Amino acid sequence: MPSIVTANTLASGEVVYLASDGRWVRAITDAAIAATKADAAMLDAVAARAVDAREVTAVYAMDVTVVDGRPAPISVREKIRAALGPTV
Amino acid sequence: MYRYDEFDHAFVKARVAQFSDQVARRLSGELTEDQFKPLRLQNGLYLQLHAYMLRVAIPYGVLSARQLRRLAHIARTWDRGFGHFTTRQNIQFNWTRLVDAPAILAALAEVEMHAIQTSGNCIRNVTTDPFAGVAADEIEDPRVWAEVLRQWSTIHPEFSFLPRKFKVALTGAAEDRAAILFHDIGIRLVKGRGADAGTTGFAIYVGGGQGRTPYVAQEIKAFLPKARLLSYLEAIMRVYNLHGRRDNLYKARIKILVNALGIEEFRRQVEDEWARIDAPSIDLPGAEHDRIARYFAPLPLKPRSAASTAVSARRRSDAAFDGWVRNNVTGHRVPGYAVVTISLKAPGMIPGDATDAQMDAVAGLAERYGHDEIRVTYTQNLVLANVARDDLPAVYDGLTAAGLATGNAELITDIIACPGLDYCNLANARSIPIAQDISRRFADPARAEAIGPLRLNISGCINACGHHHAGNIGILGVDKKGTEHYQITLGGSPRDDAEVGAILGPSFPAEAVADAIEKIVDVYLAARRDKTETFLAAYRRIGADPFKAALYGNDASHRRAARELAEAGA
Repeated sequence: MPSIVTANTLASGEVVYLASDGRWVRAITDAAIAATKADAAMLDAVAARAVDAREVTAVYAMDVTVVDGRPAPISVREKIRAALGPTV
Repeated sequence: MYRYDEFDHAFVKARVAQFSDQVARRLSGELTEDQFKPLRLQNGLYLQLHAYMLRVAIPYGVLSARQLRRLAHIARTWDRGFGHFTTRQNIQFNWTRLVDAPAILAALAEVEMHAIQTSGNCIRNVTTDPFAGVAADEIEDPRVWAEVLRQWSTIHPEFSFLPRKFKVALTGAAEDRAAILFHDIGIRLVKGRGADAGTTGFAIYVGGGQGRTPYVAQEIKAFLPKARLLSYLEAIMRVYNLHGRRDNLYKARIKILVNALGIEEFRRQVEDEWARIDAPSIDLPGAEHDRIARYFAPLPLKPRSAASTAVSARRRSDAAFDGWVRNNVTGHRVPGYAVVTISLKAPGMIPGDATDAQMDAVAGLAERYGHDEIRVTYTQNLVLANVARDDLPAVYDGLTAAGLATGNAELITDIIACPGLDYCNLANARSIPIAQDISRRFADPARAEAIGPLRLNISGCINACGHHHAGNIGILGVDKKGTEHYQITLGGSPRDDAEVGAILGPSFPAEAVADAIEKIVDVYLAARRDKTETFLAAYRRIGADPFKAALYGNDASHRRAARELAEAGA
């Protein structure tokens, strides 16, 4: 299953996603998709460097579906995180 | 209310400086996240779904107007303009930033507040009756002892790394309004009998709690002389600290130990420890008790006429005011005064949330009409404890202007709800939208009042922060194959007749919950003997079957539903 990497910024706690250029972005649709284990390992390595650089914390990979070439969250939890705020 | 002495000020100020340094060291990379996480948690700072959440301690739920204004200021300056009052009588700010935490804690310290021990495996904020000191049915003011326990438990060197978090509640009234029997330790001020006649002491209960294994606390000591409270609690804590399980997070609370040993054996071990303990070095000297008690001396309220012409006239002409007085105004120990519950549960609103403007408005009303004091209830409302009855119309008008004049205290729309999956990292399902659906469904005040007292509680996961086990109707959010479902329990009670609710049957999807609650209420209304028979009393009389039949249909489908429930292990 395709996956992406997400985290919270260390200083502010904001939800962010790892983009293909190594930046951490707010929009899940801009996240880099790992289609293979090798892709996922590469994203993990980039994320680990960002943790060391104190950019982000609470990093993890999450499964996604791909809609029109863009990642979309699957679980309710990740849908709420991707919306960047509560549903109420 | 209690005021910090020099020691308190110095301690809190030092803690702010210490944590500010720790934040700086985390941001500079000197501390790793693994090193930093326990430090931030010890200062009430969690990383939640969307942001850092800061949980601020409100000792036994008592605030001055100045403190509430400061909470409003924090909401406005460093959050998104609101705060969320919790079931531990605390407040949470859901949108704080790590870099702002030192400034927020400094702002809190200026008004004698902090976030210490609002997280971690320590003794958490001690909670008590929100009507403490003013209730007509009170034996003694429990706030004095709540403050004693606050001082005793704050950075207690033996009890800062317990097997699991630890919650204490106490009441001094005949009626339990603090859910003491759902606490690790529950304490009730009681009058002595027999040889103890003429004195007051404590009845001590132990091993209550909710979460995945709910228990009602059991009595461990029927009468404890007041002067011996600290050494006896210390003995309980030592037995727990020694034998409480540290190998299994889910079996680490004292309730598991008490029920594994049995109350008789647990009591024996506590008594043995108490006999060995150096009690004189632990128990509070009488002079120190008296010093603390002076902070809680009753206000010099002059008795007034119990009947207020202004209130009577307004009640005749204003049905909403009349309903508010009926449901949210309680008798005070001094004639001519009243205790006002401020509902944070307007239909469709988020239970327990208050905006900065609302907090400022309540602070203003407290200054003008409430002798500068506000209480937070564990049911996520606020209380003005000392209001002259003649001032009730003015207080009501002020609350109306702030959107806080809903007259629904302890009715079906006075819902306890945790933040749920909208904010919480642990949740399986959302709580708030379910609460909103139900409160909108029963928004008609006449209908809610016709149903009568009904505690409805919602939790977004089995950790039960929304006290669903103790709800007359409880709702638990579960994850069912990736979708949010809700299990309904009936028959729980947080009061003197404390009981854990029983699961009614298979869970419902979110969109079906309000309908299910309506069917449950309809069964009750049809079955009750008369208006004086509450939902809980009717449930206990008729049992679960009529409710199951209404929700799950005929006997065959009912049995199928029960089978599905059993198979799901729910």
